[in-house]
Amino acid sequence: MAEGRVNEYKLHFIVLVLVALTEFIGTKKISIGIGVIALFPMLYALVLGGAISWPKFKFLSEKEMNVAANILGVSFLIFIAKLGANIGPELPKLLGSGVSLIVQEMGHIVGTIAFGLPVALWLGLKREAIGATYSLDREPNLAIIVEKFGANSAEARGALGVYICGTLFGAIYMSILASILGSSGLFHPISLAMGAAVGSGSMMAAATGSLAVIFPEAQKDIAFYSGAANLMMSIVGTYVCIFFSLPVTQKLYAWLEPIIGRKGASSAAEGGRKSA
Amino acid sequence: MNQILTIFIIGFIALIGNWIGYKVPFMESLPGILLLAVITLIGMGFTRILPFKSPVIVWISLFAMLATSPFFPGNEYTAAAIAKINLLALATPILAYAGLSLGKDVHLFKQLSWRIVVVSLVVFTGTFLFATLFAEIVFKLQGKFL
Repeated sequence: MAEGRVNEYKLHFIVLVLVALTEFIGTKKISIGIGVIALFPMLYALVLGGAISWPKFKFLSEKEMNVAANILGVSFLIFIAKLGANIGPELPKLLGSGVSLIVQEMGHIVGTIAFGLPVALWLGLKREAIGATYSLDREPNLAIIVEKFGANSAEARGALGVYICGTLFGAIYMSILASILGSSGLFHPISLAMGAAVGSGSMMAAATGSLAVIFPEAQKDIAFYSGAANLMMSIVGTYVCIFFSLPVTQKLYAWLEPIIGRKGASSAAEGGRKSA
Repeated sequence: MNQILTIFIIGFIALIGNWIGYKVPFMESLPGILLLAVITLIGMGFTRILPFKSPVIVWISLFAMLATSPFFPGNEYTAAAIAKINLLALATPILAYAGLSLGKDVHLFKQLSWRIVVVSLVVFTGTFLFATLFAEIVFKLQGKFL
């Protein structure tokens, strides 16, 4: 660890400049046919940050990028404290929405499987599909898969693939999705706020941010309900993944794969099959 | 030690963002940021001294809720101070750091098949859409927020 120490201040300084610059530019709303796309500071910061870290520019070393990922985790904790502080003054309201909180959590849990698994099988994924769709595949979920199937299993490959996509464009995608769903008029901002608590720091920040821009008058409610839903997720998330999501996804895979799956479309799956 | 410093540096950056983006004077958001930093640190410390492993997010959420709940001393001051910090001002630094970490996964991404990319998008959509839909259905059944 001692050699090649990373200068964290370089990272902090870049972020400071990015924040100052992007907050100065401020929010822009662009109306496209199907709705309003909200462009706002955090998205510029993400894209500019991504450009700075682009490997070709060699401006940041891989080590520095890893440290940035760690600091990202720490900065999310302050965001969490803010969400919690939003809930405290109105605790009774939290108890009043207990049912919807529990039900929406089920939505988060089954949503990845119900949507993802059939599509994954239809595209010809084999056992990768289990790892890819049983959860949102953030760090804790990856750990669960690796522990159960091993790091070289097809399941782990699937989970890692979704994990990488999540890091690379999860936040951008979530903010676009939040913009589209938000301006569709189909859902109440509070339902969307709960939906935004997907269990990933950057994705959740991006989705709640978009909602706050689209529904400025509901900003407090958005923080309240996404905070509550995120708390719910962080309490039950890991256990549900181990004892429910993963076994259910495996059962569904065994049942659906012969029906939807393609023959031999994914050669990479063979190794995984043998080890299973 | 390092993490404590990191929290305060991030707090400072959020303060600047809150000032430039949301026009809250520096000194006015200072108490709120400090309180958030302290709550975060207490949550982190608490997670560490517990004899079992538990998600730090849970404790930080609970402590923040407790500190601002009606039965905690000084709750009104705490809640009002933290309310001055715009949620988006706290989110921008998160995504800036996220941006700076993106490059490390680019070469891994190049090895992925397009299928897994499509599946990822479907998975992201599924979790967001289903939770939203389920919440909406419950609210409709309860006749809330109509």
